[in-house]
Amino acid sequence: MESAFKFMEMESNELNSSDPSQDCFFKPQNWDDSSLDHQQACDPFESALSSIVSSPAAANSGAGDGAMIRELIGRLGNICSNNNSGEISPSQQSYNNNNNSTNTSCYGTPLNSPPKLSLSIADHHIRAKLNVPGSYFPPSLVPLSGDPGFAERAAKFSSLVNGQFGMNEAEFGYRSMARVDPGKFSRGLSSGPGGRVSGSTPNSEKKDNQISRSLTPENGEFADSREGSSVSDHIPSGVFGGKAENGNAKKRKSISRGKAKETNTPSSPKDAKVAGETSESDAKRSKKDGASSSGNEKENGGKAKAESGDGNEKQTKENSKPPEPPKDYIHVRARRGQATDSHSLAERVRTDSLNEVRREKISERMKFLQDLVPGCNKVTGKAVMLDEIINYVQSLQRQVEFLSMKLATVNPRMDFNMEALLSKDIFQSRGSFPHAPYLLDSSSLPAFPFGYHHPQQMPPLHNTISTATGTQFPVNPLSAQALHRTPSLQLPAMDGFAESDPQVPTFFEDDLQSVVQMGFGQIQQQNFEGSMASPQMKVEL
Amino acid sequence: MTNSPKGFTLNNADSCRVKFARRFLRSLIEIKTRQTNYNNNLSSSPSSSSEIRRRSERIKLKAYSSMAHAVGPRKAWTRALLLKLHNRAKRHRFRTRKRSSLAMVLKKKRVFRVKNHANFYKPAAERGNYSVLNSDEKTEKLRELVPGGKAMDICSLLEETAHFIKCLAMQVQVMHEIADQLSN
Repeated sequence: MESAFKFMEMESNELNSSDPSQDCFFKPQNWDDSSLDHQQACDPFESALSSIVSSPAAANSGAGDGAMIRELIGRLGNICSNNNSGEISPSQQSYNNNNNSTNTSCYGTPLNSPPKLSLSIADHHIRAKLNVPGSYFPPSLVPLSGDPGFAERAAKFSSLVNGQFGMNEAEFGYRSMARVDPGKFSRGLSSGPGGRVSGSTPNSEKKDNQISRSLTPENGEFADSREGSSVSDHIPSGVFGGKAENGNAKKRKSISRGKAKETNTPSSPKDAKVAGETSESDAKRSKKDGASSSGNEKENGGKAKAESGDGNEKQTKENSKPPEPPKDYIHVRARRGQATDSHSLAERVRTDSLNEVRREKISERMKFLQDLVPGCNKVTGKAVMLDEIINYVQSLQRQVEFLSMKLATVNPRMDFNMEALLSKDIFQSRGSFPHAPYLLDSSSLPAFPFGYHHPQQMPPLHNTISTATGTQFPVNPLSAQALHRTPSLQLPAMDGFAESDPQVPTFFEDDLQSVVQMGFGQIQQQNFEGSMASPQMKVEL
Repeated sequence: MTNSPKGFTLNNADSCRVKFARRFLRSLIEIKTRQTNYNNNLSSSPSSSSEIRRRSERIKLKAYSSMAHAVGPRKAWTRALLLKLHNRAKRHRFRTRKRSSLAMVLKKKRVFRVKNHANFYKPAAERGNYSVLNSDEKTEKLRELVPGGKAMDICSLLEETAHFIKCLAMQVQVMHEIADQLSN
């Protein structure tokens, strides 16, 4: 009860203050200027309100409030149905003029856009009074008949009464902008605060955005749902929930575009461009006539959801069009700071699809990185993955630094160790047999010219190759110069070892694996030192 | 970019590894001989800590440069790394041999373009990539780590990071083996 009183005070205060954020044409002077009908509409509304407020309601429980609200809404419905007429046009026009300039402010009052709709005058008044940003839609409201703006108004009422549910202005605007289908609304609302529209899962994707659910003020749900959060952020930043954002923005666009159909003929191609359209927009556009058609509407909404087709949208829109001719025009809920003409909208749609492709690529690469970085299998999420990647790269770089320090301090007992190392490392490469002969040639060819010049050493070399179980490595110690000239050593050595060439590759083909596995380097070094006479041998070419 | 930019066949890896091992060992030998010559000429005591530090720095640079050369200039990060080392060498007046080798490498790869150069000075979000990852602080960190990362969008940055990580891991492994061998 007292909350209702507070609500009334709030409304009056806000109306009188006429702060710019409201920016609605429902300034008191508008009402003064408007026709008498407006005035008439005001009074019964106010009288009804006061009567409802003063009526003995239930206790201060939430349920009691809800009941009171239901009464309120019922009376509103009566008022509005009485006043539902086409008298809005003068004020509407003035409003439209005003609105066009402020069209881009999507966080303006929710009444900025709705007034374009052919609402009843009382509807407008009620909206003005209800224009309290930040309020929330009620959980449960009785089904409303008649004017389709009912549910919205009712929602605002109860939301005001129930106070804030953590919904910000944007969400409020987003939801209040909808032309709620009373039937749908009732469905969702009657399900109660914790309830869900049947057939739809909580936290489902943005497309599953029926009015009823959107109006259900479930804190956790709305805190979690990307719909709500995305509405509040229209900056085109492709966040993780960016898809939801875009989808929501698109939904709003589509809704508004659908609504603006009266004024803007090429709405259907625009609708076609809006990807994945939402049942919410369907619901909003396809004004359900009454509670009786609630079932149909739900099916339509579900169909729209399932197909997410523009044609479907159009269908539902057209289906609902005949019964409610005044609701033809559609509001274009623009993103903040962006125009609402067809070109920019199409552009936005295109960029959104491009963003999607880009995001897929990015996620693909992140998956690949996950394989590379050890210990990242359980980690999910881009932020943590990036952290892991950064840590890994830093650790690798630190390791390189440490190893270079180690190499700098190692004793320069290098000369033959280097070559041994070289060959050993070369053969560390596993499995690439095509490399083996080449490597063998390139690494052992220094030996060949050696042998070439010292043919008596050939047999020992050959013997070592053939007899050793893969641990022999005919790498001769060479000075640095010889090592540098390795590529040039190949040619003169070839003819001298034609007979051994076929054997050597086979030898290594057979034993390469065992070579690698058998602690190759050490054994090789031992044998090497054993077989070769002097470490320093110069090769003359 | 190859058809499978993330694909890294075994042959590729092995040849890279081999090339890197060779180059690195060669440069190691070079440094060591220089050191011994220096020591012999000056007949001074074995290296002090500052010398060791300098040498390790040089070895590290050589490691990176051999890695970049081994991979080749077909990757953005190798080009950026080679450029950086080249400039550093110019600044520190290293041997001309390095410059000429770099020039040869660059000439071989005729199409040598630093991509997205115009985009470099724009903030990440303005470059036309609407992913929020572009302007993340972690992404910035990653850009600093990966050579040439500042001028890339997030997509190619991730790709280059993957390749870079692979090559770094291989480099660490080879260096580790060499160090083990030398210290035996």
